[in-house]
Amino acid sequence: MMLPQRAEPVIVQNITGRYGRLHTRLMLDYETNVAAGAAPGKGGQSVEGVPVFNTVSEAVTHSGAKTSVFFVPAEFAYSAAEEAFLAGIKLLVVITERIPVRDELKMLELARKHTATIIGPNCPGMIVPARKVKLGIMPVTAFAPGRVALFSRSGTLMYEIADQLKGGGFGQSIALGIGGDPINGLTAGECLDFVETMPETEAVVVVGEIGGDAEERLAGHIKKAAHSKPVVAYIAGRHAPKEKKMGHAGAIIYGNFGTAESKISALRDAGVSVAMTPSEVPLLLREAISSKA
Amino acid sequence: MRLFEYQAKDLFKLYGLAVPESVLAHDTNEAIAAFERMKPPLVLKSQVLAGGRGKAGGVAMVSSAAEVESEAKRIFELSIGGEKPEAILVERAFPHEKEMYLSVTLDRGERSFETIGTASGGIDVETTTEKQIRKIPLQGIDEKFAQEFGSLLHLSGPQNSQFADILVKLERLSREKECELAEINPLAIGSDGNLLPLDAKVIIDDNALFRHPEFAKLVPEDRFEAEASKQGFAFVRLGGDIAVVGNGAGLVLSTLDLVGDAGGKPACFLDLGGGAQQERIEAALRLVNKLPEADRILVNIFGGITRTTDVAQGILTVLSEGAMKPIYARVSGAEEQVAKEMLASTKVKLYPTAPDAVHAVVTPA
Repeated sequence: MMLPQRAEPVIVQNITGRYGRLHTRLMLDYETNVAAGAAPGKGGQSVEGVPVFNTVSEAVTHSGAKTSVFFVPAEFAYSAAEEAFLAGIKLLVVITERIPVRDELKMLELARKHTATIIGPNCPGMIVPARKVKLGIMPVTAFAPGRVALFSRSGTLMYEIADQLKGGGFGQSIALGIGGDPINGLTAGECLDFVETMPETEAVVVVGEIGGDAEERLAGHIKKAAHSKPVVAYIAGRHAPKEKKMGHAGAIIYGNFGTAESKISALRDAGVSVAMTPSEVPLLLREAISSKA
Repeated sequence: MRLFEYQAKDLFKLYGLAVPESVLAHDTNEAIAAFERMKPPLVLKSQVLAGGRGKAGGVAMVSSAAEVESEAKRIFELSIGGEKPEAILVERAFPHEKEMYLSVTLDRGERSFETIGTASGGIDVETTTEKQIRKIPLQGIDEKFAQEFGSLLHLSGPQNSQFADILVKLERLSREKECELAEINPLAIGSDGNLLPLDAKVIIDDNALFRHPEFAKLVPEDRFEAEASKQGFAFVRLGGDIAVVGNGAGLVLSTLDLVGDAGGKPACFLDLGGGAQQERIEAALRLVNKLPEADRILVNIFGGITRTTDVAQGILTVLSEGAMKPIYARVSGAEEQVAKEMLASTKVKLYPTAPDAVHAVVTPA
């Protein structure tokens, strides 16, 4: 993945849907260059002044975009993702939730084949405040240019923590939603590798939650990679019951697998400071940055 | 969606997997009638979704009608993980010496399905160490793959062919019915050397249910969970007295933690979803207002795409409809000043931060 440039053209898939329309306007308001949209059977229309094409291929030809923000309903997600990769899209930001897990696996296999990256699914997208690039649905008021990279499995919790960071005087170099499903495209470990190469990033905040072993794997990765930038984490769901899906398809504890305790202890073992509440995040971040300096 | 054992076994049969002969009994009389027809030795198995059934006493060997009567009565009354069975599976016992474990499951971290097997499985498979694991290609597996996997589990000859047949069928079931988990635990090896799945656990990918209408309404839901899912809310009933409502799964999860840390007991998890509008907020508040065990409501909104003024208007509307449980709210984000003014002259208690609202709702004045 490359960090998107200021005013780089992007397209929106299913731009004529309710969310596609709303967020096209909000992305344009943030000065993101939404240059074309795709929606089967809606070619020739325009949304907020953005031309709409029947196919991704036409939208890409018109705009030169390599990035697509994806609002296609779950039932059609796989074939629309395939269409995007065949049209040359290299970064697919999948906002859609409720995509079947086997379709997600097939989407990932296609992405690998086309050397493309998927962010999400079931995520709020990404924002790079200093470049005025917003590829997703996050409310911009919580975000400001700064030196903290923020990665989160949850959307609203990402906004909440961005807002807490703002209160603590921290802005973001990048904020990116990993996604709330059992399967993610870009992983937290890959995000950390990515920001290691970003000079504008001073520290990292990772927001995790119950379910799966993404945080345990991240902890293992942190130990092995020995990156230079301090990491602070917050894990939601310490009081969640077992065997219950807590809103996100991926937020479920089976037996003793996927508990918050396991994630917190793995991350602490890897030298990550773990906050117990969102409001503790900026405090730990300040400590982590000053002890690293 | 997790299926009951008897439903999972019906699915097994559909895919040509042999399972012991059984009858589903909805009360003790039906269990006795089944016993009369099937002859001992039989096993009675509580049909609950909760784990740890065997250890909790939800399975019993029976060899006489009198035993069926006393054990069936006991099992129908036995609550396992807060769940009492609506049915008992009366099943022919299968004498065996050895038990294996076999499953096809999603490995989230590896982003792949895989098959897991052990040569000696049974009830403590979670602690066993001689696990064999192989990734399953998206298009599925063949006989050869399954035979090779069986060899890893020290099977050979006709027994391995039988094992391979079971694995191929289990994998096909898992793939075609889009299971997150299809598990045989135990896979018994009888005294004659034959393999037979004695238990079946199947979890279907909820997000794939639109392609599998055959599973609709297969598992009865809690009345409030059913109502909430009809409205499109993510909702989990938790048994405490504080209804927790917010926008976004992670935010609500984090709010549950704040409540739990402060010593409070959440009655429910209710996620309004992203971009929630006024009507959805109203519907959510009406729903938790009806939840009998909840006596107060905590609303935690971080407004972004969800407008704080819509939230305020939604609260005003439900307040105007009549008796409402006390609402403790934190409403933050764009236009929050306007939202707060809208609610200033109402009974709603407003707090500037989530911890403040949680402290107040947990220790009401």
